[in-house]
Amino acid sequence: MLERTDLQEILKIARRGSDFAEIFMEQLESTRIGCEDRQIERVISGREQGAGIRAVHGDHTAYGYTNALDRESLLKLADQVARAAQSDETTAVVLKQRSSTVQLPVARHPDDTPVEEKVALVREAEQSARCQDEQLLRQVSVGYADTIQQVTIANTEGAYVEDERVRCRMSVNAVAAEGAVIQTGYDSAGGTKGFELFDEEKPSELGRLAAQRALLMLHARRAPAGRMPVVLSGEAGGTMIHEACGHGLEADLAQKNLSVYSGKKGERVASPLVTVVDDGTLPGRFGSFRFDDEGNPARKTVLIEKGVLSGFMYDHITAVKDEVEPTGNGRRQSFQHRPIPRMSTTYLASGETPPGEIIRETKSGLLVRRMGGGQVNTTNGDFVFEVPEGYLIENGEVTAPVRGATLTGNGPDVLNQIDLVGSDFGFSLGVCGKEGQGVPVSDAQPTIRIPSLTVGGIIEDGASTGEEGDED
Amino acid sequence: MRIRSTEGMNGLELVSAAVEEAGRSGAEAAEAYFDRSEEIVIEVRDGEVENLKVAQESGVGIRILRNGCLGFAYTSDWSWPAIQEAVGAALANARVASPDSFNNLPEPPAAYPEIDLRDPSLKEIPLEDKIALARRIEQSGRSYDPRILVTEQAAYEESHYQVSIANSRGVSASDEGSYCGGAAALVAGADGEQQSGFGLQYTRSYAELNPDAIGREAAHKAVRLLGSRRLGTRRAAVVFDPYVVTNFLSVLAAALTAEAVQKGRSLFAGRIGERVAADGVTIIDDGTLRGGLMSAPFDGEGAPARRNVLVQDGILQGFMQNSYTAARDGLDSTGNASRGSYKSPPELGSTNFYLAPGNLGQDQIISQTASGIYLTDVMGMHTVNPISGDFSVGAAGIWIEHGEFTTPVRGMVIAGNILELLEGIDAVGRDIRFFVGKGAPTLRVARLTISGE
Repeated sequence: MLERTDLQEILKIARRGSDFAEIFMEQLESTRIGCEDRQIERVISGREQGAGIRAVHGDHTAYGYTNALDRESLLKLADQVARAAQSDETTAVVLKQRSSTVQLPVARHPDDTPVEEKVALVREAEQSARCQDEQLLRQVSVGYADTIQQVTIANTEGAYVEDERVRCRMSVNAVAAEGAVIQTGYDSAGGTKGFELFDEEKPSELGRLAAQRALLMLHARRAPAGRMPVVLSGEAGGTMIHEACGHGLEADLAQKNLSVYSGKKGERVASPLVTVVDDGTLPGRFGSFRFDDEGNPARKTVLIEKGVLSGFMYDHITAVKDEVEPTGNGRRQSFQHRPIPRMSTTYLASGETPPGEIIRETKSGLLVRRMGGGQVNTTNGDFVFEVPEGYLIENGEVTAPVRGATLTGNGPDVLNQIDLVGSDFGFSLGVCGKEGQGVPVSDAQPTIRIPSLTVGGIIEDGASTGEEGDED
Repeated sequence: MRIRSTEGMNGLELVSAAVEEAGRSGAEAAEAYFDRSEEIVIEVRDGEVENLKVAQESGVGIRILRNGCLGFAYTSDWSWPAIQEAVGAALANARVASPDSFNNLPEPPAAYPEIDLRDPSLKEIPLEDKIALARRIEQSGRSYDPRILVTEQAAYEESHYQVSIANSRGVSASDEGSYCGGAAALVAGADGEQQSGFGLQYTRSYAELNPDAIGREAAHKAVRLLGSRRLGTRRAAVVFDPYVVTNFLSVLAAALTAEAVQKGRSLFAGRIGERVAADGVTIIDDGTLRGGLMSAPFDGEGAPARRNVLVQDGILQGFMQNSYTAARDGLDSTGNASRGSYKSPPELGSTNFYLAPGNLGQDQIISQTASGIYLTDVMGMHTVNPISGDFSVGAAGIWIEHGEFTTPVRGMVIAGNILELLEGIDAVGRDIRFFVGKGAPTLRVARLTISGE
């Protein structure tokens, strides 16, 4: 490994006349296990290393990366990057260790866990799923992954961070079939923690839930189509908040006028019941970290407070532009990518109403108990989500399960509409993609009600509603 | 031979040495795959270079077969000790994997197809010219219409790569290539509304890049969605833009792999020889396509690339295969072992996968549509259920009445089933266009559910 003095020299060359230079060095060890068709098909271990160097001059960023971590290669890369940034002065850099108060203890390091034990957990999830219904379950697949990422981050502002990030994750997919009907069920667990994750989140439980969801949906009706009240259960997690408003509150999109929230700080953008927070410090969550990928400590940032836009998520470049402190949201997938503003754990804060009461107060509509994947167009705020587990609400009661529903709507519109916020709270996790970079995130929310949202389902021929050419 | 260092070795020497090391360590069969890539990305905004990226990456992936079990390990460090360590890790992984008698590595073929994948001029063209090209993409888009307000992206990108593969059955092959491309994403605004549009072109040949077309396409697509509204729920004809078709082709490509069939997650299982799409619908995967971005002489495990007709005039002909699935089905590999990089073992996937063009011009298809939507954007394609084929995706486009475009629409949902969609295709355009590895013309489906108000 390189000494701090080597990094100082590399940074000096990388910066030259630029405003800012940074080096991000990474060593990543990973284990992945895949089980499908009752077979442990894939057992993969990988080692990757590399460094990314960037120089920022005004609005211009030069970025370079290489797999080589020796001094000579990095000095050469620093010179290439500096020339790409078209700067020529040199100034010395002094690096100082930074600290973070975020605690992310690892009780059982995945490195110290034999691969046999990991395979056994995968088997446990698979068996548990299979035994829910040997006949109707056509396929069960289980994925396991752990990563140990060692990073060293140093920049010309003197920041110096060495950190280790340990993450474990397991997911189960079940496919059930009966006659012509084929349905899938999914569950997953993950955290910024060691193998102890699976003491809390039992693989057998993940398997059971995934299988039960697939089986339940075999007998679900097709979802209704049209506009209706939608209740999102706390159990569904905060995917909606992440997609429908989180991305628009990332400062890069906002500054480039690519967000529906551009220039709206201090304005009312949501119902007064709505408070949205991004918090990278939550213990053990999949989206948590001690330092972001620019070496800034993770923190809690209130984005919308009681309906009023109070802040954005910043990385270094966007913080300089808005003359604010970075919020610890500068993240990147790996040394191959420059950091950009990203979410960590994003949530809609709990309210006062008991979740049961929200259902009772809804005459008819759709209850979403599990949220699937989503996508958002940040420019206009339009989003779409799938609903892998939904139910009809009829006369204030949860009745039949429905399948095939998709929610489409507009982020700002939904935030304004929310009229009931529950007292419960539930998490979900995933890998969020932006500009081709995937980073681990979590999200959370209580049960909420959206009075009118478009549900896409299927209507049969001849049953079409609405007149041609009518408007909203 | 006792190796102490990999210094001075080329890719092919390196993978051969790794395969021999695996043999000495107790592997029954082994394969090593090396790739090296260099990349340049230039992004401009408001006429200035905003981001410039220069990068190189390389590594080795090792696949081991022992007692019928597969193990895989990779390393970005290809010093000899790191390769020995990866061989050891792959062997250890094989110990905990399930045995499967169909696991096998391909034999070397008599010959590989000859495909030219390089543009020798690409490295000679100065960086300044490439920056100018990126600026031109932005400029042509921004000047297209005064309502184009923001550049989300205007970029030039190029990549040079080199791949070597060897296995213990005698496969030993190398290949190198390059490609370049441009992309634009622009935002149009009017009356407080913003809409975005994109244009892109990726090609093997720098001379073919048309920056003006990329920029203008992005601007055109953004502007035409301004003033959009949501219509009522109905069943109507849907005319699919080629790009939207390629989105659906990604789902079809997965379902047309033998792996999906063998694992019970293909909606085409057991249907070879049957009608799965309307007459006139032909779907081809061609790893040898001239100029194709996904063309290569050999696939991710060294089997020769081929042209495979999967659906001919609506009748299902067969599935894409790699060595494993082919052994299980008693067939030959179709050259579809896919590999993203040295970091993954070979999987099964498409190469240049396209829906063959028909005879109609796009304007003819539109003018023959009494009422329906010209679908230009879909959202949430990842939510399509690849097993049941059910889909329900967010949709935007332009409404068609009496064969003419009327108003832009968005915030709608199109729902149905992939098979129903394929069987409902009643017009196939001749305007085939490739978006990297997927190509399609304009299509029309007679009736689908479109939900709105």
